[in-house]
Amino acid sequence: MGKILLIGIGNTGRGDDGLGWLFLDEIEKRYPGMFAAEYRYQLQVEDAELITRYDSVLFIDATQELIPGGCAIRPCESSGSFHYTSHMQSPEAIIYLSEELYGYEPDANILHISGYEWELGKQPEIKALDNLERALKLFHETFFDKSNTPAQTLKSKPVTL
Amino acid sequence: MSRTITIDPVTRVEGHGRVTIHLDERGKVEESYFHIVEFRGFERFIQGHPYWQAPNLVQRLCGICPVSHHLAAAKAIDQIVGIDPENLSPLAAKLRKLMHYAQIFQSHALHFFYLASPDLLFGMDAPPEKRNVVAVAAENRELAVKGITMRKFGQELIKALSGKKIHGTLAIPGGVYKTFKKKQRDYFLTGDELPNIDTMIEWSTEMVEFIKNYHIEHRVFLDEFAAFPSGHLGTVKPDGALELYDGRLRAIDSEGNITLPDVHSDDYAEYFSEAVARWSYMKFPYLKNVGRKQGWNRVGPMARLNICDYIPTPLAEKARLEYFDFTGHKVINSTMYSHWARLIETLHCAEVIKNLLHDEEILGEEDLVREGRHRQKGIGIIEAPRGTLTHHYEIDDKGMITRCNLIVSTTHNNDAMNEAVKWVANNVISKKEKITEGMLNQVEVAIRAYDPCLSCATQALGKMPLKAELYDHNGNLVQEILKN
Repeated sequence: MGKILLIGIGNTGRGDDGLGWLFLDEIEKRYPGMFAAEYRYQLQVEDAELITRYDSVLFIDATQELIPGGCAIRPCESSGSFHYTSHMQSPEAIIYLSEELYGYEPDANILHISGYEWELGKQPEIKALDNLERALKLFHETFFDKSNTPAQTLKSKPVTL
Repeated sequence: MSRTITIDPVTRVEGHGRVTIHLDERGKVEESYFHIVEFRGFERFIQGHPYWQAPNLVQRLCGICPVSHHLAAAKAIDQIVGIDPENLSPLAAKLRKLMHYAQIFQSHALHFFYLASPDLLFGMDAPPEKRNVVAVAAENRELAVKGITMRKFGQELIKALSGKKIHGTLAIPGGVYKTFKKKQRDYFLTGDELPNIDTMIEWSTEMVEFIKNYHIEHRVFLDEFAAFPSGHLGTVKPDGALELYDGRLRAIDSEGNITLPDVHSDDYAEYFSEAVARWSYMKFPYLKNVGRKQGWNRVGPMARLNICDYIPTPLAEKARLEYFDFTGHKVINSTMYSHWARLIETLHCAEVIKNLLHDEEILGEEDLVREGRHRQKGIGIIEAPRGTLTHHYEIDDKGMITRCNLIVSTTHNNDAMNEAVKWVANNVISKKEKITEGMLNQVEVAIRAYDPCLSCATQALGKMPLKAELYDHNGNLVQEILKN
């Protein structure tokens, strides 16, 4: 299996925004030691260097978008657009920087999980947790073959349940 | 036609600030304000928590300088368990210092490479889409890679010491909770997996040279831009050396006269007061003996170089002497010199980190924590990347926090940032027929030089929308700029 990095983005102190982190927690329980996992409040420029050490990267982030089925895996295309604070970059910008600075383009995807409530101190909504479970199922179906062996890389293809 | 210009939020700073500039019918600036509009809350909601939780709770103030809050709070809580800084074990003191200097090193690298360099490399009138770190990366690959690696070096060191790059834990009341292993130390010395500390010193020296040459090329502009007299505050050792972890408070006026004569941090409340304004959540600290009008001080790298007698590491001291020789002044009051001073401090931090990494005492495993006679009050003051940071706690008989007062670095710079905005408003925007985006960016450049952390200063929560609006004297929206 190639080296695969999962980056969960979010904040468990803000309701459904923590879905990315909760996803990583579940991955570690279900597939202990199989994937490298990084927890991020937000992506920063130096993550462009981090991803050069992996064959594939999957960003996992909660979204306000109401995705049919509650989640989707989409290819992460390189983009030079930036966030104005410079302390918060998009996955696309991280891939762009990785290409520009290190000449490296990993196979990159984003797993979006629909959320609903984002207030401070809130627990995740039940329907958001349902989406999390769907996302875990989607992850397994997408990246494991019938013999439950993980794929060599996380292939770039849009997938929804 | 009178107008009001609003820049909201100010970009490439930490947190959410807003600038309004009020013009009269002839376009002359009537007034300008740098508003801090974030919610302030940590001082209140920490009340009722056990004292020992403070060093961890308060680091949630910020994702950029949590180490500074962690250590300032730890110093205060040390006193509550009866340990003054000089009574901390040598091992605990050195490990804390190592983390502190790593924090300043990575924070300064972040500010210069990610926030300030776009303005310096591309100019203030460059298109907004170019004034960002992604453009720096695209056009200055080597600089960007060095910047990222320097920040990474500092963050990796913080992680090795505290378990996490952000919001880790090293300090506990009276000491530290974990040791530093030889294998961890060697990671930063060998250069096998990460450029080593010698490379960090080499690159920091290059950056000091870069900014010095930049000043040679742009001297008139950098000398004049947002230059104004003010006091300066920082901490020093008893012999006047620059000290970032545990020193005496020293302040000077704009000409170098002492206004605060190396006082002990425990006595800060006798000398400082905080004013408030109806248009900002951020307070305005000032020296009581000088008064509200003249008693405010700049803090941070430029102020620290102004107040210290020397820097106790050779390369940074050499750079400091060149810095002052260049200007010919004893005290520097030009805002843009903050960048140069910040890079000299970056070099100093790298030198201190090297010295500490080579100190075998940091690998000790005994005497991690000490305890003395408990007290009901503790005060911790350190020099955070952005300036003097004060944490003050009081507890009840059950050990619950009853009072918390935080004077955050950016708060000290509140008046300075308002003065800087006023300078740009009067010298760049006033009486101009057309207000360009480049002019408005100069307001942000002036603020950005102070590397403000508005999240820290107000203990903020919430989103940061981005909107710039221009209204005529009737309140009609004339122009709207979105940066999102």
